[in-house]
Amino acid sequence: MRYQADPDDPDHPAAPGVRPFLRDTNPGGRYSPALPAGTPSFGDHPFGEPQFGDHPFGNQPFGDAEPSGQATSLRPFVLTSGRVDGIDPNIGPETQVCSHVGALSARLSPEQRAIVHLCGEPLSVAEISARLRMHFGVTRILVGDLRAAGHLDVHVLANDFPDPETILRVIRGLRSISS
Amino acid sequence: MDFDPFHPDRAVGTARVPDAPQRATPPVPVKIIVAGGFGVGKTTTVGAISEISPLTTEAEMTMEGLGVDDPGQASGKTTTTIAMDFGCVTIDQTLKLYLFGTPGQARFAFMWDDLVRGALGALVVVDTTRIDDCYPAVDYFERAGLPFVVGINTFNGQLGYNLDEVRWALAVRDDVPILTFDARFRGSVRDALLVVLDQALDKAMKMRSS
Repeated sequence: MRYQADPDDPDHPAAPGVRPFLRDTNPGGRYSPALPAGTPSFGDHPFGEPQFGDHPFGNQPFGDAEPSGQATSLRPFVLTSGRVDGIDPNIGPETQVCSHVGALSARLSPEQRAIVHLCGEPLSVAEISARLRMHFGVTRILVGDLRAAGHLDVHVLANDFPDPETILRVIRGLRSISS
Repeated sequence: MDFDPFHPDRAVGTARVPDAPQRATPPVPVKIIVAGGFGVGKTTTVGAISEISPLTTEAEMTMEGLGVDDPGQASGKTTTTIAMDFGCVTIDQTLKLYLFGTPGQARFAFMWDDLVRGALGALVVVDTTRIDDCYPAVDYFERAGLPFVVGINTFNGQLGYNLDEVRWALAVRDDVPILTFDARFRGSVRDALLVVLDQALDKAMKMRSS
């Protein structure tokens, strides 16, 4: 059985707070058979804390092409409680994110906790996505959630084209790179 | 930590979260898009100049991609994952340049809107043996009004066609620079990016004067 990619599916409604896969009586059974033994996954420690650098999905690439048709990982929308739209279109891949000091003591999902862990220093959304091996769209939604909950500073810029002074600084900076 | 609502740092801007402790101010990000077909050297281009080895982020192709990337009735596959490589160059403490390498095919255009928003410009990497791979990217950037430069990656220092022939094949405006570069060499990639930045500067100056 696998989730349909339909947020309106009555069996798996979008319910903030309780993520759909936690209601499944056998959360590991759907995807763990395809994992090599010893690969960390949600099925092994659904409530465990991810360690720094140990992202919650083990090492399998997300949505990897699987000719067998067997689902090997959580569908991305499960992590976002069924939402597929970014909350803020101004959050781009280069947007800088920084976590608040108190955020780690909050009750967070493992993915959100991993994001807060990573962002002690300012980090771009694309880097968060790459380091946690989460889809960019999923990362963007979770970052938006964390900002709404007051756990992250998201430095959204006006989407204006950069001014000439900024571009001149980039030009000077690049020129100083030696070949 | 004492909370002082009248501390001068708090008076700057309205975006500051009142109870946030002082943290390093993140750099202002600027970005350049590196577009091109598979295997033309996008990742090599990014890696040649990036201070980090290129990272990969994945995006899921959603409904918009289905019409053109139809997996067929027999397949249970409803989505396709694509990869986007990126790297960065720290200009100074307050400014950071990001380079995003993205597939140039039309079926990946659903993510270009996000990428292009606020971008300085684009470098379209072209392999002259598969020149049509870059047509959709050129179309898109022309329509989006994003400054772009066509960079022909000369893998072995050889160029099958002269630049005029490439310009004719691409049918780009005369003010779009077409140049050759070698994606393996930092200096070569740097010079290509500087041409993109020149175009961006032109656009920024025009926007300011108008």
